[in-house]
Amino acid sequence: MDKVGIVGFYQVKLYSDANYGRYEMIFEAVRGAIDSAGLKKKDITTAISCTNDYYDGRTISNCYTVEVGGGYMADESKVEMDGAHAVLYGLMRILSGNHKLSLVWGGSMASCFPYHAARLYETDPTWERPVAYVNDITAAGFQMRAYLEKYGVSIEDIAKIAVKNRKNASRNPLALQEAQNANITVKDVLDSEIYADPVTELMVAQPCDGVAALLLAPEKQALKITDNPVWITGVGYNQETYYLGDRDLTKSMSMELAGKMAFDAAGIKDPKKEIDLAEFFEAYAHEEVIFSEALGLVDMGEGTNLNSEIDGDIPINPSGGAIGGNPPCGTGLIRIIEAAKQLKGEADGYQVKDAKKAIASGQIGMCAQNNIVYILEGGN
Amino acid sequence: MTEKLVVTNKGFVRADFSFWVGLYMDKFYDSFENKKIIGNKCSKCGKVFVPPRKKCGKCNETIPLDNNWVNLPNTGTLLNYTITHYKVSDRAARKAKKPQIIGMVQIDGSDTAIVYRLLNIDIENVKIGMKLKIEWEEKPKGNPADIKGFVQV
Repeated sequence: MDKVGIVGFYQVKLYSDANYGRYEMIFEAVRGAIDSAGLKKKDITTAISCTNDYYDGRTISNCYTVEVGGGYMADESKVEMDGAHAVLYGLMRILSGNHKLSLVWGGSMASCFPYHAARLYETDPTWERPVAYVNDITAAGFQMRAYLEKYGVSIEDIAKIAVKNRKNASRNPLALQEAQNANITVKDVLDSEIYADPVTELMVAQPCDGVAALLLAPEKQALKITDNPVWITGVGYNQETYYLGDRDLTKSMSMELAGKMAFDAAGIKDPKKEIDLAEFFEAYAHEEVIFSEALGLVDMGEGTNLNSEIDGDIPINPSGGAIGGNPPCGTGLIRIIEAAKQLKGEADGYQVKDAKKAIASGQIGMCAQNNIVYILEGGN
Repeated sequence: MTEKLVVTNKGFVRADFSFWVGLYMDKFYDSFENKKIIGNKCSKCGKVFVPPRKKCGKCNETIPLDNNWVNLPNTGTLLNYTITHYKVSDRAARKAKKPQIIGMVQIDGSDTAIVYRLLNIDIENVKIGMKLKIEWEEKPKGNPADIKGFVQV
């Protein structure tokens, strides 16, 4: 595919209970992204937002975000999935040849509603919802146990992933304060409250308040705006069937297929060798392991043995990942921004050395039913 | 939104939604009224689905409404489980009195698993692979709650 440039971005600081309203937060992110590129609102030719009517507590929730979201008297549309899916929409508009600058923003305020209870509304209303045994957390409990059983991996090994991400988050000033745990231990993770055994509280990417925005431009235009764009050279997306009981939860087939599609587009033959870092939307610690395996960064069943520290073999979630803060509808978009920061050498305090190619992923659904993968490349 | 709380919207509009379950699920719930569980089978790959469905996604094959039904027993195998103290419908506030064991159970003769509570089983005795059977409501009404849960055989 033709490469598309990321020419600006901005993420607000994540809070579990932010001291300002969602519209002010959206404006901060959108204005921040435009300023970071040295552009004006009039330069945007299309705006794509990502919010969720249920999470926003109103229907057609983007009808209230027109002014702050760059949509006033402009070409504007909305995606109701993850922010990373909104980037796909923005990317397609650029690739259509009709647009010169696309603004993509996403996020919400999880402090305003019971997020995990709301996820029950994702279940089949004619079968699972009336009896209410499935939500994102119990589904995660199933998936983590399925993985542990299949490969004989210990709970401690999964807890180590949460420890790594929370330590990384402590070096990322924009991460959620509650997730910035510089001195956390495996024992702390195991001793935290059981959400759905074997998943404990500190293995969960805590839903929080936050918005992020980025700007995309076609190659020529991108080079006019900045000397140092980050290129999207591949994208892939895929989803599996809905019912948990139909799926093999020990792996992520949709991530594997999404990865293949993205690697093909970017001409990547051996991800283990070619990828310098990954930023995943891991809603739970064990998902990071399953995703690394699905993308071929490590062999099946070996995910917990990968050295994924910032100075490790393949750094994963150097920013702290989604465990470092998970604003619904914004999290996948933030992964793309974090990967872009790494490629630009702007990840102060958690910079991966010599980062040239990165993976960023977003997801939606129970046990990451749908996955979207981006290949990002830096340097001109 | 602690001290800044301005507006809380609590149900001043009531707009309940009624779902028509469709022809396949209608037949499925009809069988619940007789305390029986049924599935349907893809003609191409032979996979038996519970709950039944119109389409096998893998084969892209339509499963006809008037045949391919399979009568299944009330027994099954525990494939996976999780234990939670929380009520799934309200994790933020309410805890259940006792931790619930929620299991994924493959009904014998089917190729999929369904999610229900495990009843009268102590946490230390739960084991993947254990044999279970359906505990039906005494007076089933033809809905998902007719299955109270699964007990050990």
